[in-house]
Amino acid sequence: MLDEHQLLRYDRNILLNGIGAKGQQKLLNSKVLVVGAGGLGSPIAFYLAAAGVGTLGIMDADDVDYSNLQRQIIHWTGDVNRPKVESAAEKLKKLNPGIEVIEYRERLTEKNYLDKIRGYDAVADGTDSFPTRFLINDACVRYGIAYMYGGVLGFVGQAMTVIPGSTPCLRCIFPSEPDSNAPTCREEGVLGTVPGVIGSIIATEVIKYSIGLGELLTGRILTYDGLSMQFFNVDVERTPDCPTCGGV
Amino acid sequence: MTVALLRGEYMQVEVRVFSGLEKFLDQKRFGEPFSVEVQDNWDLRSLLDHLSIPKEQVFTKLVNGKHQELDYKLNDGDRVSLFPPVGGG
Repeated sequence: MLDEHQLLRYDRNILLNGIGAKGQQKLLNSKVLVVGAGGLGSPIAFYLAAAGVGTLGIMDADDVDYSNLQRQIIHWTGDVNRPKVESAAEKLKKLNPGIEVIEYRERLTEKNYLDKIRGYDAVADGTDSFPTRFLINDACVRYGIAYMYGGVLGFVGQAMTVIPGSTPCLRCIFPSEPDSNAPTCREEGVLGTVPGVIGSIIATEVIKYSIGLGELLTGRILTYDGLSMQFFNVDVERTPDCPTCGGV
Repeated sequence: MTVALLRGEYMQVEVRVFSGLEKFLDQKRFGEPFSVEVQDNWDLRSLLDHLSIPKEQVFTKLVNGKHQELDYKLNDGDRVSLFPPVGGG
């Protein structure tokens, strides 16, 4: 049951068709892990905290660097050299003291990924590496946890939601790691608003999934180009012999 | 196989390139489909060579929505979508 303060704080959510007090309670009961507190992780975590996701895990092993500040809007100039999870958690708790923020100052590795992800309802992708994404994807498929993928580069970004067992997983469409000569943000740059756009889409998907609202971004990749300001959906199908979800 | 193909004529596939791969092609825009005439023994590798897109830049090759490897033999009417790795966060 929502109290008086919650009814006021979440009023604009509660007014929406399909959310109401029941939907807001579902959000407050939900547990979401955001892996990566960088360009994507910043808007994801901000919007999920503001929306009232009750338990928000934030994982990142890095410290804030000056070069992060152009896009990682959860970190401010005075946060340089602080651990990213500490900087992010401080802002999130100030934004919404009514939620629980769990800090993981560590990387997701082959040794810890199953333990870290188990128990969450959804995992939001704020990472910058495909090996880490594959760990998230594999753990989510194993435990039946929703996974919201996103990636950015230059002026472009893309996103897709994985519902294990019923929709294509990341390995269905990205079966292997990229070529070592493939472009990265470190070499090619990234416009700060691009992770803002894609992170907002990921957060929207998490909220919809948590409440059971609308149509999820499944069975298709949404691609975005900031230069031509176009979005495209590209349909994707499950791969029957997918190494991760083929037998699920 | 159509009569035209039996005569040794070309097949057509629909190609869309995304997320920076358009820079390898003249006058092609992000995500907008275009037709390419291909020979009936071509695979995805032949298509990339024909389009002069470096293979190491292409991460995902979707044909009719399914990821395929470079040795996938193209069929008339295939819809090919090509993506680089979009891996930043």
